[in-house]
Amino acid sequence: MTKFSLLAVAAALGFAASAHAESATYAIEPSHSFATFEIGHFGTSTNRGRFNKTSGTVTLDKAAKTGALDVTVDTTSLDTGTAAFTKHISSEEILNVAANPTAKLVATKFVFNGDKVAEIDGNLTLNGKTNPVVLKAQNFNCYMNPMVKREVCGGDFDATIVRSQYGVSYGLNYGFPDNVHLVIQVEAVKQ
Amino acid sequence: MPALAQPVPGPVTYQLDPNHTFVTFEVMHFVTSTLRGRIGPVNGEVTIDRAAKAGDLRLSIPVTTVSSGSRMLDARLKEPDLLATSEYPEAYFVATRFQFDASGGVKEVRGEFTLRGVSEPLSLQARSFACRQDAMLKRQVCGGDFDGVLKRSRFGATLGLPFVGDDVHLVVQVEAIAP
Repeated sequence: MTKFSLLAVAAALGFAASAHAESATYAIEPSHSFATFEIGHFGTSTNRGRFNKTSGTVTLDKAAKTGALDVTVDTTSLDTGTAAFTKHISSEEILNVAANPTAKLVATKFVFNGDKVAEIDGNLTLNGKTNPVVLKAQNFNCYMNPMVKREVCGGDFDATIVRSQYGVSYGLNYGFPDNVHLVIQVEAVKQ
Repeated sequence: MPALAQPVPGPVTYQLDPNHTFVTFEVMHFVTSTLRGRIGPVNGEVTIDRAAKAGDLRLSIPVTTVSSGSRMLDARLKEPDLLATSEYPEAYFVATRFQFDASGGVKEVRGEFTLRGVSEPLSLQARSFACRQDAMLKRQVCGGDFDGVLKRSRFGATLGLPFVGDDVHLVVQVEAIAP
């Protein structure tokens, strides 16, 4: 092995070692980060609602394959497309957003598949009650964003929660389902 | 529960329920996450003739109502290189080819989608379809979730290609009320 290639190997190892120790912080990008819920309507169609405001930070160590996140969803930003439906879901009877204006997702366990985040295990606080939740990645990727000129990581995540576990039991006796599908778009910018 | 609450002879025309009829589009952003926008309520009517296994659907889709959750993105979506809402405030879907499953539920609707004044064939597949006797409306309500894919470049909505995908996944919630 020549001196040059030894140096190259040493440099590569050095780079790998420094990359290994590198944990980066990413800030949630609010115009590409939305939580949407989906719930069945009398066995016919699916009703949807989107929360328009989400904020928070994610730390990601791609070499060590670890991560953590702390994300807050503003529950008063609910938007279903129908004013009456938004108002009803926001009311005391359902999400009670006046008393609980935020929902929180806190996670310290990221499961990787290769170099991509495949699953996030955390705790979801909704309507003032906290339960464990597992978010599965449907897509995950990091890219250099040409507009902000920084690395952006993100993806699509989903989970099915049981709303009665969060004390949201309205309409269960009229046949509205207990299972709610959460569909989450997230992108976060490296700080 | 059977797909149909009751057999009805001859064609029946249902009016779309504005509280439960929306189009959501989904498009990939930098091969990373899915950008979504909701359009609606959608206006229109659907006629179903179960005995003849035929149907006719006419939707008027107010693209001016596009809502992504971000005001900045909504404004951008309305510009001439995307939805071009000042010149073309409505998109249309007219479908006259219906497929039914063995139990009489709608399985697929095929027709023509018009966006920015450009018309292209579009097929929507039913992910769910059911009819029920609605307790509050005291009428029969039929509907479901439908989806399909179009290429936005075919309609001239080209901003951001290829960083924002060309394939647009349409997710349609629809409920319609019998007379």
